Amino acid sequence: MKNKLLLISVSLLLAGLVLVGCGGGGASPAATTAPSGGGTQATSAPVATNAPAATTAPSGGGTTAGKIQAEDGATIVFSGWGDQTEQKVYRDSIARFNKTYPNVKVDYQPIPDKFQDKLKASMAAGTAPDVFYVDNQLMTAFAPSGKIAPLDESMKQVGVKREDFIPQLLTIFTSNGKTYALPKDWGTLGLVYLPEAFQAAGIAEPTPDWKWDDVKKAADAISKTGKFKGFCQNAEFPRFAVWAFENGATVASDDYKTAKVDTPEMKQAAQFVADMVKSGSLVKPKDVGAGWCGEAIGKKLVGFTYEGGWMVNFMNENYKDVKWKAIELPGGPKGKADYIFTNGIGVNAASKFPKAATAFALYLTSRENFAEIAKTGFAYSPYLDQQALVPDPNSAQIAKGGSYPGSHAEYWGPNTGKVQDALGKALERIYAGDATVDEAFKQAQTEVQAALSQ
Amino acid sequence: MAAITPVRRRNLLTDRRARDEAIIAYLFISPYLLITLIFTIGVVLFAIYISFTNFDLFTAPQWVGLENYVRAFNEGKFVRSLVNTLWYVAIVVPAQTSIALLLAVILNVKVRGSQFFRTIFYAPSVTSSVAITLIFWWLYLKTGFLNFFLAQILGPLGFTPVDWLEDARGLFQIIIRAFGGNIPSDFWYLRGPSITWLAIMFQNIFTTSPTFMIMFLAALQEIPPTLYEAASIDGATGRDQFWKITLPMLRPVILLVVVLGTIGTWLVFDQVAILTAGGPLDTTLTPVFLIYTEALGKSGPPRAGFAAAMAFMLAAIIFAFTIVQRRFIERGTESY
Repeated sequence: MKNKLLLISVSLLLAGLVLVGCGGGGASPAATTAPSGGGTQATSAPVATNAPAATTAPSGGGTTAGKIQAEDGATIVFSGWGDQTEQKVYRDSIARFNKTYPNVKVDYQPIPDKFQDKLKASMAAGTAPDVFYVDNQLMTAFAPSGKIAPLDESMKQVGVKREDFIPQLLTIFTSNGKTYALPKDWGTLGLVYLPEAFQAAGIAEPTPDWKWDDVKKAADAISKTGKFKGFCQNAEFPRFAVWAFENGATVASDDYKTAKVDTPEMKQAAQFVADMVKSGSLVKPKDVGAGWCGEAIGKKLVGFTYEGGWMVNFMNENYKDVKWKAIELPGGPKGKADYIFTNGIGVNAASKFPKAATAFALYLTSRENFAEIAKTGFAYSPYLDQQALVPDPNSAQIAKGGSYPGSHAEYWGPNTGKVQDALGKALERIYAGDATVDEAFKQAQTEVQAALSQ
Repeated sequence: MAAITPVRRRNLLTDRRARDEAIIAYLFISPYLLITLIFTIGVVLFAIYISFTNFDLFTAPQWVGLENYVRAFNEGKFVRSLVNTLWYVAIVVPAQTSIALLLAVILNVKVRGSQFFRTIFYAPSVTSSVAITLIFWWLYLKTGFLNFFLAQILGPLGFTPVDWLEDARGLFQIIIRAFGGNIPSDFWYLRGPSITWLAIMFQNIFTTSPTFMIMFLAALQEIPPTLYEAASIDGATGRDQFWKITLPMLRPVILLVVVLGTIGTWLVFDQVAILTAGGPLDTTLTPVFLIYTEALGKSGPPRAGFAAAMAFMLAAIIFAFTIVQRRFIERGTESY
């Protein structure tokens, strides 16, 4: 609206052009400064290839096989999103890192809001941090253009293997067989419920051997109490995915080239959910006046939902008095399967101190560091052998989703956002009764295919 | 009064004083000029260039000719956003212009407290758009005030709460459905603006009308009272005076308001970004929001070239609209 006031003082035509120009080339002012300049920097020697062999004594960690020789007096900038809790976790991590690497100074610059936008702009301008969080959006933007450095050589040097991690976590960070980031944490979904809603309905609390039908029955019973709505779930793929995977459905071929959305497995799962929507036992958070299903639990509006480990902090901070519990997901016709979300830590390929930056990134994602972080309950360790470290019992139940063989990472190639968008729309149509399951997924198949071949 | 003498153009090459004056003048405006050259004209020129490339912000741009412009029409979302915006312009511009005019005419009557009402009416326009949008978010929630209020009034008539920010049903679709028909999703453009889109339109009308009201009010006070006096002597009624004097005298301001309103509505962004992010089912997707998501790569690799191409097509559309409106409204002025 301010635009209009501004426009008065400027000639109309020019203003129209300029404003549209600004809207369109949002990042172009930054981009003009370095349209291709970054390329020359990026050609500098890949991280650590010429590093001296790891002859120095291994660091105190015991689990790490070697140590990267960081440049003396290096100062590196590290950025990520995150609230106060997360920032403390990383300040502590930096302190631990400095015990091993006293000669590297880490300048931590958290960017809690619009992290991805800011990082893309600073990367285009050549002022990006040395080490930063990488999600699928940034991976897609940076890896093909060589803006982040592959870590494989350095991983070998410090003795970290790809096989050490929960396998699905690395799918996001892998491109052309190279590893561009390592997971900083991960999350997945479990069944989160209000015991008092189950009591009010006079039914038993969920058990690990629950099946889909138990979900349906419980949702019906709870919504009949009138005091609570039954099961909460939004019309979005990152939640519906559980139903799809548990019925043996997938989204795309393994090379993310062919859409596999319009399948009987997918549609059966969608029909099951659609029936629950129709009967009123499944509600959207907005229907009950909550922003998301976790909040609906906090406000005691629904009986149960599928949410993740982030519930622990959320409930502690906002609904301390509400008694809630979590248990692993109920099983579907093809067993149990979960959706896995993860973000990683990567290294700027144009870093002035590539070895220090790599050493830091590898330390943050090391077993040694995760042993400490996992204790705080802030994040799950991505290492297979550290899965027992989750201190909160509810969170530990949810974490089981990471080890179901059918679980899939939230990644469908470079256009993951568009793929999930198309699937979300199919679900929206089904929820709203605007399309049958068949119609919705037929259209989604076309849209997902278009997104995959973009 | 002295006769106005036309300014003689002095030759900068021969007249030394004129040359010095010109140099000094340019020096004075140089800070502004420089900034405009670099941050406006330079950026626009660069954007024109990248609109013909596959620039993704990070790798060197490669020339692709008109591919981006063609793609905008093939990928569907751009067309969808244009259709959405057409509805928006068609409803918001006339509504906000007439409401602004009405408010201005009412406030132009000199009565006690008109200053107070001027301030009250103007308040929405000086409030931050983001703040107003958030307030509307609360009003529009399914469990929010609007539904509560409507249920109190229309409850007995069988009113059920509406999902103001998530209802993708189009206006015409609802009407057709009421008669038992349906408009399939292949013909989405016939469904009309969605409930959610109408809700956003209402908010926009609410916030921008007062801005234009102030313009109308200023123009109204410029109309010489003698015109009204003469007309009333000739026996013109209040209504005659409005249609025959007020409205014609306001034509230049109406042009300004309509043009500004049209540009503003074509560029609608913040309400969409805050309330709906283009949803539900793309029924509130606008060109600027689409350009923003594509340029920054919100759901795939950044496609700055593609975004720039869409931005220039949008500029062309606004330019065309402005010219047509100018012709249309100015032609009307000539007859008076």
